[in-house]
Amino acid sequence: MGEKQKRVFFGAIGIFVFLCIWYVATALTALGTVMPDPITVFTGFFTAFVEPIGTHSMTMHILISLRRMLVPYIAGGVLGVLVGILMGWYRVADAILMPYIQMIRPIPPIAWIPLSIVWFGFSEGSKYFLIFLACFFTIALTTYNGVHSVDETLVRAARMLGAKDNQLFTSIVLPTTVPYIFSGLQVALGSAWATIVAAEMIRSSEGVGWLIISGQETGDMTQIMVGIVAIALTGLLITSIMRGVESKLCAWTVRGK
Amino acid sequence: MENKQPKVKVQNLTKKFGDLLVLDNLNFEVKEGEFLCIVGPTGCGKTTFLNSLTRLYEPTAGEILVNGIPVDPKKQNISYIFQEYSSFPWLTVEQNIRFGLEIKKTPKAEADANVEEMLDVVGLTKFRNYYPSQLSISMLQRVAIARAFATKPELLLMDEPYGQLDIDLRFKLEDELIKLWKKTGTTVLFITHNIEEAVYLSQKIMVLTNKPTSVKTVLDNPLPLPRDVVSEEFVKLRNKVTDLIRWW
Repeated sequence: MGEKQKRVFFGAIGIFVFLCIWYVATALTALGTVMPDPITVFTGFFTAFVEPIGTHSMTMHILISLRRMLVPYIAGGVLGVLVGILMGWYRVADAILMPYIQMIRPIPPIAWIPLSIVWFGFSEGSKYFLIFLACFFTIALTTYNGVHSVDETLVRAARMLGAKDNQLFTSIVLPTTVPYIFSGLQVALGSAWATIVAAEMIRSSEGVGWLIISGQETGDMTQIMVGIVAIALTGLLITSIMRGVESKLCAWTVRGK
Repeated sequence: MENKQPKVKVQNLTKKFGDLLVLDNLNFEVKEGEFLCIVGPTGCGKTTFLNSLTRLYEPTAGEILVNGIPVDPKKQNISYIFQEYSSFPWLTVEQNIRFGLEIKKTPKAEADANVEEMLDVVGLTKFRNYYPSQLSISMLQRVAIARAFATKPELLLMDEPYGQLDIDLRFKLEDELIKLWKKTGTTVLFITHNIEEAVYLSQKIMVLTNKPTSVKTVLDNPLPLPRDVVSEEFVKLRNKVTDLIRWW
């Protein structure tokens, strides 16, 4: 069995054991009174693809949440990379922007909910704003670190081969920074997706976060668990896609390992 | 040999770091196509010397002329092989060798031909699509050498490129270097602390003094190629250079 197959095999065994423990615990202990067993949850999850919860099927809930996440994630990604490069390349930009970034970054996105409602109302804008905050700073800082990690020997080597400043930037600084950007994008993707529940707490009637909030309001534990499973599986899917893209674009960092 | 023009002319080269005088009024010439090894006591400022020569460090005073005009790597075709491994990790072997040609906007057909030739000479044709992280130390240095020669540089500067290699590998790469130098006729300035290496490779050996560094002497190396490191003449010349460097 190859390394990859082994990884998948043991991963599957781990999940299976977890589901068994979950099942046994809900069947034989008091946990069963406050939590549905995995068969009920997964049946509810798959049924939701054909029978709508609220006004939408599971596919639509997932797609709506993905759109809510992707729009600000892409905006945060583009802006984060630009600001990170700007701060990494120009000392003045670093001096001006870094204090703001270091001050705002530790504030959890959820703390911005009241202000986001005041600024953007109950529209999609407030949700976008929260998710944007969840990814922008991570991406900006990892990009900044990438620019600063440029190996001086490689810069000298490129200079000696005749590279001018703009060529140094495109042929040395950017490629060095790409793995850092991807690492930031990967972490930010997780944060953005995790923030979806908080964002959908601001009045909504659809989305995977809404499934949880609505389940809480109606005391429907299965729906809450279905929402959690939807978030977990979609999160796994999008981070795997991102990892696939990274392994193609940063083959040089992955192949040797 | 005697008719050749000076490729590099260094006049009154001085470099200070604050009050510390490192290079003290260096004057010398290197002829077109010459292989000059530069040796000196440890810490005498050999790397500073090469970095000043290429303006990676701005000299405090003096002038460095290549083909009669002030040296400038952006305008002149100069290559530099560093002590540290300097392959670009995100580029394959082939892309690394092509790098300088693309920077200099060499026409594609010519660039392709140069890359193929270099891959062949350093024996990396089969590894053209490998990334540096997949290569051994000797292969990495071969990539650096191929990249440096691919642009057909008029001047090649080498700063202890084989300093971290074991003796077998070093001799192998030194032989490859001589082959490439003879084939291309490039002018080479090779810095080393290894006197045997200097005698093995060079046509001339420049001996530097302790800091503040100046040129102690320049010796001719008339031994025919390929050289035998245990021959009487080789050992005699090696001992002569050792005596010149000895400061104890």
